[in-house]
Amino acid sequence: MTLLEGKGLVKRYHSQKSEVEALCGVDFRLREGEILGVAGESGSGKSTLLKLIAGLEAPTAGTLLLRGLPLRHRRTKEEYRSMQMVFQNAPASFNPRRTILDAITGSVHSLRGKSAKVDAGALSAMVNLPPELMNRYPRQLSGGQCQRFAIARAMAVQPDILLCDEITSALDVSSQAQILSLLSKLCREKHTSAIFVSHDLAAIRCICDRVMVMREGVVVEQGTIGQVISAPKEDYTRRLVESVLQI
Amino acid sequence: MKKRRINPSRRARSRLAVFLILTGLMILVSLLAPLPCPNDPNATSSAAMNRPPCAQFPLGTDRYGRCVCSRVLMGARTSIFSAVALVGVTFAVGTALGMLSGWYGGAIDALVMRLADVMLAFPQMVLAIAVAGILGGGMGNAMLAMGITGWTLYARLARAQVLSLKEEPYVHAARLSGLGALRILTGTLLPNMLGPLLVSAATQIGVMMIGIAGLSFLGIGVAEPQAEWGSMINASRAYMQLAPWAVLAPSAATILTVMVFNCLGDCVRDVLDVGVGE
Repeated sequence: MTLLEGKGLVKRYHSQKSEVEALCGVDFRLREGEILGVAGESGSGKSTLLKLIAGLEAPTAGTLLLRGLPLRHRRTKEEYRSMQMVFQNAPASFNPRRTILDAITGSVHSLRGKSAKVDAGALSAMVNLPPELMNRYPRQLSGGQCQRFAIARAMAVQPDILLCDEITSALDVSSQAQILSLLSKLCREKHTSAIFVSHDLAAIRCICDRVMVMREGVVVEQGTIGQVISAPKEDYTRRLVESVLQI
Repeated sequence: MKKRRINPSRRARSRLAVFLILTGLMILVSLLAPLPCPNDPNATSSAAMNRPPCAQFPLGTDRYGRCVCSRVLMGARTSIFSAVALVGVTFAVGTALGMLSGWYGGAIDALVMRLADVMLAFPQMVLAIAVAGILGGGMGNAMLAMGITGWTLYARLARAQVLSLKEEPYVHAARLSGLGALRILTGTLLPNMLGPLLVSAATQIGVMMIGIAGLSFLGIGVAEPQAEWGSMINASRAYMQLAPWAVLAPSAATILTVMVFNCLGDCVRDVLDVGVGE
């Protein structure tokens, strides 16, 4: 069953001298429990697409449907709860003046009501970190630890969709593997769908069910991992796959 | 030889503590006035006109025989409190307008910033003299004259801070937490942008004090017999050769107070700069 659908999404940025079309009519579907990878070079529109889905920016044209119902740019709390985002720069995604626990508690109370309890022990166990780290400030943690707590913050409100924006690109190889394994495990266990934006095709191949390849704001190719990465139809996808293998 | 390295943040904090104590003392003295005054600051005496410093009048007397020391202490209340109150009000108004302008953009931004541009098109003191001249003398009008342009500094600074911070991932995370604009502005953005604003506010206290004293010196601020450092300098300058202490004492008080508040601003900046990375 389709959980989230994008139809003809267009995003234009205007400046005084020029106009940039970051997305030029993107269509996609995310099914329940599925992890959809979005691949492409820098500037292909991957992160813009994620911002539109999250409600951080309004589309210039096109519609987003959540369970068949249109999503407006001005979201309700329930709509915000249903879609949570994990950012590329995890330490910067926490308020530097608040501890990790405060940040997670604030998010849970805002989206699920003041009566919602935050079990620090269970949350830290979920991301394989000691609970005492939650009383630290983001600057007192490593990038990998912050990224785990960012995932914990997102999962704490029990979202239907997790939006991951290049979440492993700022981490070392060992942390990347741990984060990917954690994300995959959590999504499968909690039946959470995810959109995993990355320029790393190896990471996408590792955890995604389907992949969508973007170039200059257009979806070039989409399909299962087997179809797109193992047997690409488009030249651009082939070049992208080959460039990864060459590295 | 092993050199002992002093933590820069600790040194900055020690300096801040010293200047906080000094400003605290100044504010305390001005709060307690007229209690610490050795004489009645408004009592005139023809027998004690232009008397040099002595045991009875520690800083001498002015041309009406009033105790300069008592008037300087009473003037502290007027000068320090008017400057602190003025900075407080302009800080609050300017910061609020700047934050709204930066957050919402569009018409609100254009309106606030063009208004600020108009205010900044005139030199602050010239505009203040014009406003005070139209409204007439008195402390309230002098403060209004200075405050009419004072808010623009905070508005521009706050707007720039909001424009830069609102694209930070933690602000995006706050939006995705379903927080409204008011809660993000006050709970997330304000604590993270308060540092540079506080530094400006601390240094502006001195500027405002000089401004209000300047207006009083020109005769369009605080009027006699109310004690105010600017008006005291103006009233006694004609008799400077006869009673230099009547001019030097309020001048020294103004310079010292402005210096202490400026140093406090510098220390706040140093502590905030060093503290962020800790």
